Amino acid sequence: MNKITVTTVALLAAAAGWSTTAAAADIEAGRKIGETQCAACHGKDGKTPIDPSYPKIAGQYPDYMVKVLGDYQTGARKNPIMGGIAKPLSKADLENVAAFFSSLPGPLTHKK
Amino acid sequence: MCTGCHTIPGYQASFPKVYHVPKIGGQSAKYIESALTAYKKGERNHPTMKVIAAGLSDKQIADIAAYYAARGSEPAVAANK
Repeated sequence: MNKITVTTVALLAAAAGWSTTAAAADIEAGRKIGETQCAACHGKDGKTPIDPSYPKIAGQYPDYMVKVLGDYQTGARKNPIMGGIAKPLSKADLENVAAFFSSLPGPLTHKK
Repeated sequence: MCTGCHTIPGYQASFPKVYHVPKIGGQSAKYIESALTAYKKGERNHPTMKVIAAGLSDKQIADIAAYYAARGSEPAVAANK
């Protein structure tokens, strides 16, 4: 993908307010968690998972990701890998890491 | 079947918690398939999604997954790898 596309997608994301939902979240703190704990499977950019059964998370809604991670913490949603990763994280960690991946450009869309 | 919730920008689920309904266009087909199958089997618990997935055949699930995987706003980088 070329640079113009990346910029365009980022600008569109900003214009649509996708990344402003979690205004209080600390994206840089989220980046540290993302790059050390999420990138190995979901890709550093959040859109190149190592296995097609793993979701792309770049550009996903942050509140949805916080909800999913919370469900892994409580066991409402079960996955051996995600359960182990989510459980030690604080609520602030969840919000920060969700804000980080939500801020990244990606292919996810509402298009029909 | 899916458009009413998943193709409206900013649409929020109101039950059991309020949060944005996830974007599924451009998602990996395999992931969409595994999510729908998990709802069908009861391994994932969202009330609306359980009811919808319960009525789908494996073929329909695969078709839906392929359709939304092809909807991405960027060239499908890893959609079908």
